Amino acid sequence: PVTAGSIVVPLGHVVGNEKWRGSELAQRLQGKVRLIFEDGLGLVDFHLPNRTCILLISEADLVAGDEFKRRLVKFRNASSLRGIVIVEKTPISDQYYLGVQKLVVLELGMVLLPVANQGEASQLIIQLVSFCVREQGRERGSNPLAGRQRARPAEPAVLQALQRIPGVGRAKALLLLQRFGSIHGLCNADCQQLEQAVGQTVAQQIYTF
Amino acid sequence: SPAGIPRVPGEPSPSLCILADSREISSGPEVLSCLRAGHGLRVQVCSLGSSDYIVSNRLAVDRVLQSELQSPGNRNKLSQRLQRLQGIFERICVIVETDRVRPGETSRCFQRTQHYDGVLSALVQAGIRILFSSCQEETAALLKELALLEHRKDAAIQVPTEPEGHRRDILNFYLSIPSLSYGAALNLCHSFSSITAVANSSVPALAAGARLSRPQAEELHRFLRHDFDPQLLPQPLPAKGK
Repeated sequence: PVTAGSIVVPLGHVVGNEKWRGSELAQRLQGKVRLIFEDGLGLVDFHLPNRTCILLISEADLVAGDEFKRRLVKFRNASSLRGIVIVEKTPISDQYYLGVQKLVVLELGMVLLPVANQGEASQLIIQLVSFCVREQGRERGSNPLAGRQRARPAEPAVLQALQRIPGVGRAKALLLLQRFGSIHGLCNADCQQLEQAVGQTVAQQIYTF
Repeated sequence: SPAGIPRVPGEPSPSLCILADSREISSGPEVLSCLRAGHGLRVQVCSLGSSDYIVSNRLAVDRVLQSELQSPGNRNKLSQRLQRLQGIFERICVIVETDRVRPGETSRCFQRTQHYDGVLSALVQAGIRILFSSCQEETAALLKELALLEHRKDAAIQVPTEPEGHRRDILNFYLSIPSLSYGAALNLCHSFSSITAVANSSVPALAAGARLSRPQAEELHRFLRHDFDPQLLPQPLPAKGK
């Protein structure tokens, strides 16, 4: 059955598909994360906190043909959860990688991360889980790669912009801004007002700009 | 047809356009030549500063070598760069490229570090798209795929990328506005008759003309009407009478 629905995963836990019990991957995860096995996870191999699912594609899956593609498409159609596909990229399966990447990332819009073996897959899963824990522990937005930089005052940038007008240097730019307030104000000043501020020649240059 | 764009009968075939940062001439020469010669794309090299490539009106692509993700030394540089990009672009993609093996060097074994997995986790969590490439040729092919995809979603760069004369000066003016991408600046040049027309435009008109998202258009609108306060300048004002 196509099961791709949400299940609640407590922080620091991983819910694994029963089929992974006793595998090398599961053994390496145990002790690092709290691993719980469950039946009937369907298409998903591991559920992580933060509504994230892991789908593993082994070297053998890649070589065997298109079955894994049907599985990914089914997941994508059935689930609104974030899907991370971890694929075993080895010298043997390497030739299929570009095709898989095109399907998973460009067509299905999911995340694809290559690993060399189950050992690397376990390390990656541990990092993904501990990242969730760190995110929840600190204030929101602690991800150094997420979010915008803090807003800075616009003054230096406004001043810089005006200096791109021919004939306007820093001093004239300051003068203009003190008189007209903003770029919008300056744009709507008439020739006479400009002349009063900076003299006829430059006023004409600004006006034509 | 070039770059595999499906040709619509009766319509001139469009040529996909990618903007490349001038640093890529030295750091990714094969990417550039493959894009041009192999895939028939129009590649405009300019001083982007923010990202390595701009593939559409909303998507920026950074090329990162795998070795750069391996050690914590690059963490700050990378996060500052990506944070800046997130202020400017709706979508960001990172292409992780395998380092080139220099002649005489035996293929170095890639030792996956905890830091590397940590960076990947952070990228995934931040919603940044990640692609993996084994060489510059593959990176070029991926850039083409991204450009094609964005073209299908009607986000391709479709304005002239080399304004001249007075328009060049106007472009430089727009480029000095923070949070505005090179593509958005080009769109402003093309869609509005003058800076005054831009300054007097509403938020929806700016969004449509510059192909910006609503929040980005709001930010531009705020900037243009920002009431200047000399007290907020970082350095003291130059002495009077100079």
